[in-house]
Amino acid sequence: MKARMMKSLKNSFLCKGLMLCLAWGMLFPGLLFSAEKKIRFNRDVRPILSDKCFYCHGPDSNKREADFRLDVEAEAKKKLSEGFALVPGHPEKSQLFERISSHDEDEIMPPADSGKKLSSKEIETLKKWIEQGAVYEPHWCFIPPSEPKIPQVKNQGWVKNKIDNFILEKIEGSPFTVSPRADKATLLRRLSFDLTGLPPTEKEREEFLKDNSPHAYEKVVDRLLASPHYGERLAIYWLDLVRYADTVGYHGDQDHSITPYRDYVIKSFNENMPFDQFTREQLAGDLFKNATEEQKIASGYNRVLQTSHEGGVQEKEYLAKYSADRVRNISTVWMGATMGCAECHDHKYDPYTSKDFYSMASFFADVDDNRTFKGGNSLPTKREPEILVFSLFEKKELTNQLQKLKSEIQKIEKPESKLTKEEKEKKLNQLNAEVEKIKKKKIRCMVTESIKPRDIRILARGDWMDETGKIVVPAGPDFLKRVSTGSARATRLDLANSLVSTEHPQTARVFMNRMWYLFFGEGISRNLLDMGSQGEWPTHLELLDFLSVRFIENGWNIKKMAKMIVMSNTYQQSSLQTDQHQEIDPLNKLISHQNRFRISAEMIRDNALAVSGLLNRKMGGPSAHPYQPAGYYAHLNFPKRVYHSDKNSNQYRRGVYIHWQRQFLHPMLRAFDAPSREECTGQRAISNTPLAALTLLNDPTFLEAEKVFAMKVIKEGGESVESRIRWMWIRALSRQPNAQELKVLTQLYQNSVKEYLSKPENAEKLTKIGMFPVPEKSDLVQLASWMTVARAIFNLNEMVTRN
Amino acid sequence: MWNSNLNLQNLINRRTFLGNTSLGLGSAALLSLLNSENSLGSSEEREGIHLKGLPHFEPKAKRVIFLCMAGGPSHLETFDYKPTLEKMDGKLMPDSFTNGQPIAQLQGKELKCLGPQYKFNKHGESGQMIADILPHTAKIADDICIIRSLNTDQINHDPAHTVMNTGTSISGRPSMGSWVNYGLGSESQDLPGFVVMTSVGGRNPQPIASRQWGSAFLPSRFQGVELHTTGEPVHYVKNPNGISKHQQSELINSVNQLNAIRNQSVQNPEIETRIAQYELAFKMQSSIPDLVDLSDEPKHVLDLYGVKGNDGSYAFNCLLARRMAERGVRFIHLYHRGWDHHGDLTRHMKTCCNLCDGPTAALVQDLKQRDMLKDTLIVWGGEFGRTPMFQGKGKLPGRDHHIRGFSMWMAGGGVKGGTSYGATDELGYNAVENPVHIRDLHATMLHLMGIHHERFSTKYQGLDMRLTGVEESRVLKEILI
Repeated sequence: MKARMMKSLKNSFLCKGLMLCLAWGMLFPGLLFSAEKKIRFNRDVRPILSDKCFYCHGPDSNKREADFRLDVEAEAKKKLSEGFALVPGHPEKSQLFERISSHDEDEIMPPADSGKKLSSKEIETLKKWIEQGAVYEPHWCFIPPSEPKIPQVKNQGWVKNKIDNFILEKIEGSPFTVSPRADKATLLRRLSFDLTGLPPTEKEREEFLKDNSPHAYEKVVDRLLASPHYGERLAIYWLDLVRYADTVGYHGDQDHSITPYRDYVIKSFNENMPFDQFTREQLAGDLFKNATEEQKIASGYNRVLQTSHEGGVQEKEYLAKYSADRVRNISTVWMGATMGCAECHDHKYDPYTSKDFYSMASFFADVDDNRTFKGGNSLPTKREPEILVFSLFEKKELTNQLQKLKSEIQKIEKPESKLTKEEKEKKLNQLNAEVEKIKKKKIRCMVTESIKPRDIRILARGDWMDETGKIVVPAGPDFLKRVSTGSARATRLDLANSLVSTEHPQTARVFMNRMWYLFFGEGISRNLLDMGSQGEWPTHLELLDFLSVRFIENGWNIKKMAKMIVMSNTYQQSSLQTDQHQEIDPLNKLISHQNRFRISAEMIRDNALAVSGLLNRKMGGPSAHPYQPAGYYAHLNFPKRVYHSDKNSNQYRRGVYIHWQRQFLHPMLRAFDAPSREECTGQRAISNTPLAALTLLNDPTFLEAEKVFAMKVIKEGGESVESRIRWMWIRALSRQPNAQELKVLTQLYQNSVKEYLSKPENAEKLTKIGMFPVPEKSDLVQLASWMTVARAIFNLNEMVTRN
Repeated sequence: MWNSNLNLQNLINRRTFLGNTSLGLGSAALLSLLNSENSLGSSEEREGIHLKGLPHFEPKAKRVIFLCMAGGPSHLETFDYKPTLEKMDGKLMPDSFTNGQPIAQLQGKELKCLGPQYKFNKHGESGQMIADILPHTAKIADDICIIRSLNTDQINHDPAHTVMNTGTSISGRPSMGSWVNYGLGSESQDLPGFVVMTSVGGRNPQPIASRQWGSAFLPSRFQGVELHTTGEPVHYVKNPNGISKHQQSELINSVNQLNAIRNQSVQNPEIETRIAQYELAFKMQSSIPDLVDLSDEPKHVLDLYGVKGNDGSYAFNCLLARRMAERGVRFIHLYHRGWDHHGDLTRHMKTCCNLCDGPTAALVQDLKQRDMLKDTLIVWGGEFGRTPMFQGKGKLPGRDHHIRGFSMWMAGGGVKGGTSYGATDELGYNAVENPVHIRDLHATMLHLMGIHHERFSTKYQGLDMRLTGVEESRVLKEILI
């Protein structure tokens, strides 16, 4: 019954959709296929060849069948033993077409046993492509972006900046119009989450609503970009990419010392360090002449991977693992490439060879990994080389204090000092003790140290025990621009420089694509990890190129690009979806409205803490330990682990500072899809599960925030039930509740009061949750009842959604 | 299209399942919802609870219970009898075996043979050779198929578990339990489809990482849920102190009403899902405590397993495994950590076998009595085996990690009982007859669940990802009924 209903519904949707599509398919070919269009190799043909043909007729020489490859034009068009695979203009003479359209089981391509099949639409596309000349294009992301033509649009008035031209052009060619601008309160909430990961305060909301000046919106944007929380918000994403964690990941999963690197990332985003410099410092900060302490910390990037000192590790095996891990991460983070595939064989879809993989690995052959194996089971374990530093956010203050103490000591030690010997000694002891106390605040940090590079061989099938492969030298992939260093061995710094050279086809595009994702919940190319053949054709390639060219021209200025994106009208559209949107463009490939999505795990936490007023805005330093279910680390060993939650205000720090235990990530983070950070994560899943519901309902972190919020509303929210509900609602959701909503919560409140009056001991129990003290003589029945109202609000979909 | 946000099909499915009345869903609708709920980017099209097109053929097994003996039990003291090794005891291990082979803790040490530490005897009508340290397993000899030719890629625990669970040592891949649930969905309305339990008792030094039951790039609702036997069985499943069941229900009702009110103006399918997930969450708050409450189990059943209470022991977990199997949980994964015997092997074997041997046999017998063994696949084994060579950590002899040949067994769910398959060489070093890689084990497990391993894939990073990966793997047809 259900299934039948579903089918008929689907049909009716598709029918309507189809009719509309036929009308505008010509104008908007990227979205749906149209029989009349001009075929473009990259957009229309490459995805088919890549997915269905390259496995056997592509870059991987080991899997290549009949010595025939389709990914290289000259090879695809060469004379074969019987005729040609491709005869431009003549599908009927082209063997490729003959084979794909064959009905003979022995003839048909792809072969029946490959599990791949071409649809009739795909066959038609390939036919048209041959008819139109079988023109090849290099893969879009392998040629440097060039300044595209800015599209002309009819509705000039809607254009805020050039981003809007690219978006509007396609919308004007579709049955859609742009969506209206979102209301101001929604915009403020959107901007606040997107730029700082925090909700707006009530004061900020009121000010913005009152401000009718033409620059009101821009003022908010500038304020948020200048906020120290901007760096924290971007860091959440960057730390996912570089797989930052506080533990080693393998076996005993001991803590390692790396939090100063997190400080560095946050600080760099806040100070708007250009992305090219940010890249150089992380890959090769240690190789800079007179490298600063911060640059050394940045080089901790090369050390955040998973490591092991398990008894019985074979060092050679793990060195090979670390090598491969680094190539996987660098190629994904900077190049949007899946070079990891080439560890065991030439890439099957993109022109990365095994040699490219190991040449890339040899850039990192100088990273001192040997001492990693000598780590012990202490907490934290030692992962030399390490340096001892102050948290970057306390450094200035603490260095000043030290300086002061030292000059005082010098003064006392001077012969002209009038103090007696005893006085002198006493004073010196006291000052030295203070110096020691400050010095103890230093934190260890893993850094990169360059040693004589070890030999890197091509490992046949990735087998580390096979020592017959050729030794390779550091080099980028053959088909990309070579790293040129003359006869000198190329270094990590050379690699970084080549990645951020103006001609590099990938770096700027990959980063701009991900920035777009931060502000829309989707990339322009929707595969955030792979911009190769198997990635997704960008919905707006010219826009992506435009942003990438601007990014490079502007000196890799991240804040400038963020501002450009959020200032566009495209960004400011309402996120409401109409039925038409849902029927015809459910994926919103036209971007004819904003997207709405659940905020990330860290933001869900930060939001609850911020709304309640509990949030501790301290920045940087060692990781925080929020409440966690007892015994969660029971399966960890070497050493046995007991989790101690913070008993001070560290309990209320932002999610970005939570101790990241790779093997047992905090259950709240897990329930809301934060990754374990074993590998690069470019896009988190957004799930909606009963376990997440249980977490938001019952995790003491949220209950405590709800308690504190309730204490506040009793104090500041007026006397009447209604005024209190309004007070809470507006602070949590940035809008007024309507009559129905008021009614539901009033009822909930009244029932709670009744319940707790009859069982006051339960009110006492509930309000004891969380270490935040409840003042003596508080009316616990009231507090528990308002806490119940807060629980309802904090569990709303709207509370955890960015619209 | 992995990365597309709201898949049209999902959208339609969900809207249809929910209709316009969001509150008070019937259980059928809830069940569908649990299985069809959208997660970012998946292109899963589902028919009922299954992924579209699955199962590929009639399954023999409806569910899997995987009994993981973490640490790597010695095949030479359990299922792989080697009289030649007995004769070679104390002599140098021939170089021809060990040259160029990966070695763990014995790196750089003199390699001497260590003969089997227990006597072996024939058991059951089938006459399977089983070591005397496993008297209860011996009683189910005719129900199990012993595979003596396993081999794996990784010689250290953590990566070896990763291979056992995901088919590769590269991190970030989904575990087999997630794959199976992704493909077949869960039959349980109010329990997760993939449950993991780790027992306490004896010595448990082996760390186990939660990545072993992670869903990686599959939707996260398919990840294993750990059931704890101390504290709350599932994180945050208990009501907060001072909140009665009635109040929690009222709260969830209020939340759902408010969400429904909001949805009148914003029409967000995500809200409909959230409403249903809150209802489900509330159901789980009762179903999970019910699951672990053994008061309805008769004494003879408790005695069969040797359960002495809600103590988190392996015996207790085996009984829970049966209860979950009855309730439709698709993949049940039990870990017992304690099988890493570098030294004092006989002492530690005694401890582990005392804890695990009886309950394992009881589980097979109990399922058989309930006529559930025929569609429940049981797999027993560790992440690797142990060297035929002596290792001298501790007072008594021990053995190091070994990956070139070791034993596991399978029972029920379409596997031929009372048989054995494959063999190692005369010293128990290399799998020489019908070698079985972990990939082959996975292919066989999927086959029994009605899934063709090569046709079961999902797109990730532009690649067709499979549990069995890109290497060849085969179904062990010879051991199937």
